[in-house]
Amino acid sequence: MGGHSNWPEWIYVGVIIALMFWVGAEAWNVERLVEHVPADAEVIKVTGAQWFWTFEHEDGTKEVGTLHVEAGKAYKFEIYSTDVNHSFNIHDYVVLMDAVPGRVNTVWFAPDKAGEHDIQCREYCGLIHYNMRGKLVVEEPST
Amino acid sequence: MRNLLGLFLVLAILVIIPTVDHAFAAGDEPGEYLDRRVLIWNLFFRMMTVAFTVGAVVSGTMIWLCWRFRESHPKATPTEYERSGDFGGSA
Repeated sequence: MGGHSNWPEWIYVGVIIALMFWVGAEAWNVERLVEHVPADAEVIKVTGAQWFWTFEHEDGTKEVGTLHVEAGKAYKFEIYSTDVNHSFNIHDYVVLMDAVPGRVNTVWFAPDKAGEHDIQCREYCGLIHYNMRGKLVVEEPST
Repeated sequence: MRNLLGLFLVLAILVIIPTVDHAFAAGDEPGEYLDRRVLIWNLFFRMMTVAFTVGAVVSGTMIWLCWRFRESHPKATPTEYERSGDFGGSA
């Protein structure tokens, strides 16, 4: 295109590339922050099985369906599956991680106040997937 | 040269970016207590702001282009190709 000025196109390309970098950097930074587990986080083993959740605390206490934690503490979930793919979700705390047979996936959170929250499987895992629910009970700090 | 560039792009997407991400995203040093709800939802709203702004600008530009360069626009001028009247057809 002789004599044709195409600087608007280059500005457009530059703006798009800058935006993509910015979006990538923001998302990467948030991911980096939420993946750093605090040193004192208590490890809870979460096991998904058709069609219920079981929880094992560090002291060996086991729970089925209902998980009790304390406000103000950090918890790191180690997520297992014994059969098919599941996905461990505490919607109110934006916790979501797949449970994959043969893998251990981790995610952590720190509940800030007492209350009850739903736990739900978010990966279709068979006939009763819809009812693979649990309850998170956040209690007042004991100390 | 172009092939090399293409190969590098494919490698970067498949290997290099995930490796760098894995190496830096979750370091060994312990993290701080933070509210993931705030961080994640803030990120979501910022991204949505960008998405809607870009969407408005791009669709606005396209609407303006269609409006400005329609045949019936008062300032419309035929291109050289159109002015020649020779569109290559035999009929």
